[in-house]
Amino acid sequence: MADVEEVARPTNLRRIAPAGAALIMCVVIVLTMAVHIAVGAKQLPLSTVFEALLHKNDKVFDHIIIWDLRLPRAILAVVVGAAISVAGALMQGVTRNPLADPGILGLMAGASFAVVTALNLFGISSPVWLPVIAAAGALVAAVVVYGIAVWAPGGATPATLTLSGAAVTAFLGAFISLMHIMNEDGFDQLRVWLTGSLAGRDLGLLIYAGPPLFVALIAGLLLGRQVTVLSMGDEVAAGLGVKTGHLKLMLLAVVVVLTASAVTLAGPLGFIGLVIPHAVRLFAGSDYRLIVPFSALAGAAYLTAVDTVARMALQPQEISTGLVTAMIGAPLFVFLVWKKTR
Amino acid sequence: MSGGLTKAPATHWVLRAFGERIALRLPVRALAVIALLLAGLVVLFLISIVTGSYGVAWGDVLQTLTGATVSTAIDNVVWEFRLPRMLVAAMVGAMMALSGAALQNVTRNGLADPSLVGVSQGAALAVVTLIIAFPEVTPGLRPPAAFVGALLTATLVQVLSSGGRRHGSSISFILLGIGVAAFMSALTTALLTYGDINRASAALAWLAGSINAASWSDVWLLAGALGVLAPALIALSRPVAALQLGEDTAIGLGAAVRLSRYALITLSVALAAMATAVVGPLGFVGLIAPHAARRLARAGVGLTLVMTGLTGAFLVAGADLAGRALFAPIQIPAGIVTAIIGVPVFVYLLWSTAARQNA
Repeated sequence: MADVEEVARPTNLRRIAPAGAALIMCVVIVLTMAVHIAVGAKQLPLSTVFEALLHKNDKVFDHIIIWDLRLPRAILAVVVGAAISVAGALMQGVTRNPLADPGILGLMAGASFAVVTALNLFGISSPVWLPVIAAAGALVAAVVVYGIAVWAPGGATPATLTLSGAAVTAFLGAFISLMHIMNEDGFDQLRVWLTGSLAGRDLGLLIYAGPPLFVALIAGLLLGRQVTVLSMGDEVAAGLGVKTGHLKLMLLAVVVVLTASAVTLAGPLGFIGLVIPHAVRLFAGSDYRLIVPFSALAGAAYLTAVDTVARMALQPQEISTGLVTAMIGAPLFVFLVWKKTR
Repeated sequence: MSGGLTKAPATHWVLRAFGERIALRLPVRALAVIALLLAGLVVLFLISIVTGSYGVAWGDVLQTLTGATVSTAIDNVVWEFRLPRMLVAAMVGAMMALSGAALQNVTRNGLADPSLVGVSQGAALAVVTLIIAFPEVTPGLRPPAAFVGALLTATLVQVLSSGGRRHGSSISFILLGIGVAAFMSALTTALLTYGDINRASAALAWLAGSINAASWSDVWLLAGALGVLAPALIALSRPVAALQLGEDTAIGLGAAVRLSRYALITLSVALAAMATAVVGPLGFVGLIAPHAARRLARAGVGLTLVMTGLTGAFLVAGADLAGRALFAPIQIPAGIVTAIIGVPVFVYLLWSTAARQNA
């Protein structure tokens, strides 16, 4: 009996600890959102923020600012941060590649290229179609990047995947610049979007990009257990009865949908999908049943915080959020490569 | 090797002078390639001079080039716009190509390119900082600023990648460069959004790798840099040849490995920085040209470098011509054209280089 208790206690702890941590993360998200809403051209006290959120009063000007301008952006940050982080976590698990990230592996470039092409060459700007087009672009880019890496002798190692991702990104980037030059007028708005920005985004897009994003997010959470098995290697996974090919296709679909919705909403935000899963792994270990949901929570809090910094750092101007995420993420990328060479 | 001496291969001319005190073994094919590249460059020059929004007849061009004045307009177009532009394009191409070749030789990494490992981005960050933060500074200070920025970046990447287990040849050098480059570009773009709009658009035009603003002062600057740096690079080619056999072998053969490595990296960075300072970052030329030259003909290190420089010159001059002729009147910066050509080459090299490293 004593043995059972000794085994049981850590199991209980293992059950309770994640729940507690998740609760803490939710509180953190709410607080970062509140700060995100409170700061800006007009500083609002936190009490006003909570008051406006709980008891909206259309006659108070501050409440209108909060509901019409700041809350949508905060919601966007939470949703997009969660989506990209989960996409990154799943990619790292499936490809067993610590350097995987929707930006590094070219998916974001594919989605951006598709959206820019649709807007510029075909004049498609319907919020219904943009997410679909972005998804198609991300899918093609993912397949091409993976194809290049697999065909490289030595197979799809983290190094070849990263290099082929960089190549595809550079290639599509050249074509994006080309379209920019051919049509300078139509490009002014896209220029900000292409650096990854949450500023002035149309919440109407969330109506169309949101539902697939949430479905993919939930699918990603549900697939966490299988990703853990997959991250032990294809042979082990197959031995444990996982249909690896089938599972990989599903995960590819999830990652593509998450990336495409995020890019449609906020442009290509680099390195979030790299940073967050690594940070989460420090605490959650290697079990993707924990890594995936905590990546979602941490990613939401992270992007909200980063966006606050991007808005506040150089007032009254605003830095694109994507630049801040790159400035934080790129050194981590360098560190991860550096550590591998030691 | 001794067998090769008795049956002197017909692929080489041996030039002997001063009672055999000096003997040069000249590979025929490489010389032919060099002649062809030079001829190709001349053809590109001629096409480029008559191509453009202002139509100029062949005869008038030839007369103008010999010094006669057909009309002031033609004089202006040929001497002030098209000729310096062509010269700048060719020289920048040669410099980026040589820079890439030196980088590839030192790191023994076939994928090294100044624009891939952060050198161009370091130069770009320095120049954009200069344009945005210190607008009163003359454009003449851009080259030294670019050099400092590029050198600091190269040092950073080199320090990070050295001392590890898999020293030197590893792909991690490129990966580190990609990471550092991403960081530098983010900083550069942030500066652009933060800076005054007029200065920012000046910086943007420069950043696209466009050659359309070339002037004679650029030509002389580049010619001076190329005249000093290229011979120095070729003079260092013997230790380079030893480095290609691996660091231990090179030390065993008596090459001053550390010294020549630092010297070559400095030269490579200087070449890339000068070119970048004048026309902006120009991607993938330093990657393509050395490989193309190696495939065109086998030769010693010195001749290969000459071929590399000419290939780069041909490439960028061609890219610039294509960029301004294909979609006229819209001008496409040469940097975009070289990227579109360069990426498929990069992928091809990735396939073959990875094979060599895993073998």
